[in-house]
Amino acid sequence: MKRAEVPALAAHGLEKKYGQVRALRGVSFEAYPGEVTALVGDNGAGKSTLVKCLAGAIRPDCGRIMVKGRPVSMTGPVQATKHGIETVYQDLALASDLDAAANVFLGREIRRLRVLHDHKEMRRRTAASFAELGVGLVQDMRVPVSSFSGGQRQSVAIARAAMWAKHVIIMDEPTAALGVIQTEKVLQLVDRVRSRGLAVVFISHNLPQVIEVADRIEVMRLGARTARFRRGEVDVERLIAAVSGAYSNEADVPNGEVTA
Amino acid sequence: MSTIVPTGVDKVSTADEEVKTSVGGRRFSFDVRESGIYVAFLLIVALFFFLTDGALLEPQNISNIVVQNSYILILAIGMILIIIAGHIDLSVGSVVAVSGAIAAVLMVNHNVPWPLALAITLACGALIGAWQGFWVAYFGIPAFIVTLAGMLVFRALTLMVLGNQGIGPFPDPVRTLSNGFTPSYLGNVGLGSLGGADLFSILLAAVAVLGIVVTQWRTRAARISYQQQVDVLPMFLAKILGASAAVVFVVIQLARFKNLPWVLILLAVLVLGYSMLTGRSVFGRHIYAVGGNRQAAQLSGVDVRRVTFWIFVNMGILASLAGVIFAGRLNQAGPTAGNSFELDAIAAAFIGGAAVQGGVGKVVGAIVGGLIMGVINNGMSLIGAPSEKVMFVKGAVLLAAVAFDVWAKRRGESASN
Repeated sequence: MKRAEVPALAAHGLEKKYGQVRALRGVSFEAYPGEVTALVGDNGAGKSTLVKCLAGAIRPDCGRIMVKGRPVSMTGPVQATKHGIETVYQDLALASDLDAAANVFLGREIRRLRVLHDHKEMRRRTAASFAELGVGLVQDMRVPVSSFSGGQRQSVAIARAAMWAKHVIIMDEPTAALGVIQTEKVLQLVDRVRSRGLAVVFISHNLPQVIEVADRIEVMRLGARTARFRRGEVDVERLIAAVSGAYSNEADVPNGEVTA
Repeated sequence: MSTIVPTGVDKVSTADEEVKTSVGGRRFSFDVRESGIYVAFLLIVALFFFLTDGALLEPQNISNIVVQNSYILILAIGMILIIIAGHIDLSVGSVVAVSGAIAAVLMVNHNVPWPLALAITLACGALIGAWQGFWVAYFGIPAFIVTLAGMLVFRALTLMVLGNQGIGPFPDPVRTLSNGFTPSYLGNVGLGSLGGADLFSILLAAVAVLGIVVTQWRTRAARISYQQQVDVLPMFLAKILGASAAVVFVVIQLARFKNLPWVLILLAVLVLGYSMLTGRSVFGRHIYAVGGNRQAAQLSGVDVRRVTFWIFVNMGILASLAGVIFAGRLNQAGPTAGNSFELDAIAAAFIGGAAVQGGVGKVVGAIVGGLIMGVINNGMSLIGAPSEKVMFVKGAVLLAAVAFDVWAKRRGESASN
């Protein structure tokens, strides 16, 4: 698994305790540019805690997070975006009464005369970026996103992340709430984002989907990384085995005690 | 993805079927949600016009409606911002009272020059807003509780300052602001059978009409350039014509009476300014974002607490402005001033299309909502209805307006699924 390339995003030995519960027990993680890295694990494996650490939403008790090989310290989601990490949250972090362009530029508005927003320019750039990513919503630039379908909203959220991310996009279950066709569209979008050279971190419970889209898969169990696979190295059965703890190919496997 | 099929003046993409149907269905109901308020206003005005045999739209009565409702409308502007952000302010009536008391003590008891006294009063309003904004934004207490406490505390402070009596009379300039009219700058012009009317007022109306036409036309042109659905041209022209006719009619009636009330000018400035704030400024956009999805706003880097804090400061300033105007109109600051004003302001905002869960609303909507209540009040008192009937009707209108909004929203949502 060693290679010369520097990971776009790496975590090393992250620990996080909530009271007596050790949510993260020295977990490590890497995501490389131009690759989709899937993060899988059962409920309570520590995926969301890890993702929140990577997205700057919570601070790990100890361990290091590195962007392009440089250690970074993140005190909030805004810091993470400054380091080039964008996160697409599971619960669709869009302001539903604003239109797509307003959402894309929310908190980062283009300004005129310091206090006014230049909505025309924001809409133009959003339209250009959506067209480039193949998100077909250009004609609806003035409608609040609350009138969009779930898939369309997810596309807006991903396109927003893709517009701003310099290095990494983290997607927390981006297709969990979507139908078949919408899921397919979102996965195509994920593909295009990857081909722009960004590192995509993809969290999903859907193991066949993970095998389909991921270039690499990292498996978490009990707050640590227990297995890693490259594309084509694994089938659904083995992945299930890894998730359930019956299989591992990592040295730092925790011994299975749960301190809860 | 860029196949554009012209269908009349409306253009929609056919590449993404779900876009076409969902947004098409939504747009219609959205339109109903937005223009329903204006239609309702027209109907209510028409109803009382007939019930009062035209007395409702007599020059003096129009002037009365504006002057009697000015302070509620000023409160409604502040309230709509708070409601858009997903909060509520129950204290504004008490802030009106305490501000009137502060202004009276300064101007009447201590002979402080009125501009300075006004400035100090507004600063006190800002402080009151900052106090409540602090507890809501930085301490995390629901606005309902903080402002309920404020309602009691500021009423109590008013009583402490005033004892059980009013303070007055106010200096003339303050009374003029509340009750007075613009002087005749350019003299009168004859309007045939309507008699003489003030030329300056009529010129102002012409400017307002020009403003309406230009902004509406530009908005429409922009929507067309983005292939957005717009009203067909005759409908669009009818709407512009209707709005312009209403403005011209009201101003001519006022110009035939005693010219424009100063509070109307003040309101016009406030409405323009706050529409600009909500529609075009970054801060305004953040208010909508906070109300629409607080978590999303926060994760996007919007300083949610700062936004919340400042809309309460703003509410405090507007409430104390309303307090001075109300006291000036009665020519004394009384201990019961502003009783239940908060309910009128909140009702105005909700009748005017604010959504109960936040994120939606417009300054102009709140103004129209306030005017609907004002016209009901005024029209019913003209026909001699007792106050309990007025209250009953206002309650029914409020419930109907919000029920309609919820229904239209639900219909819009089911159309998009």
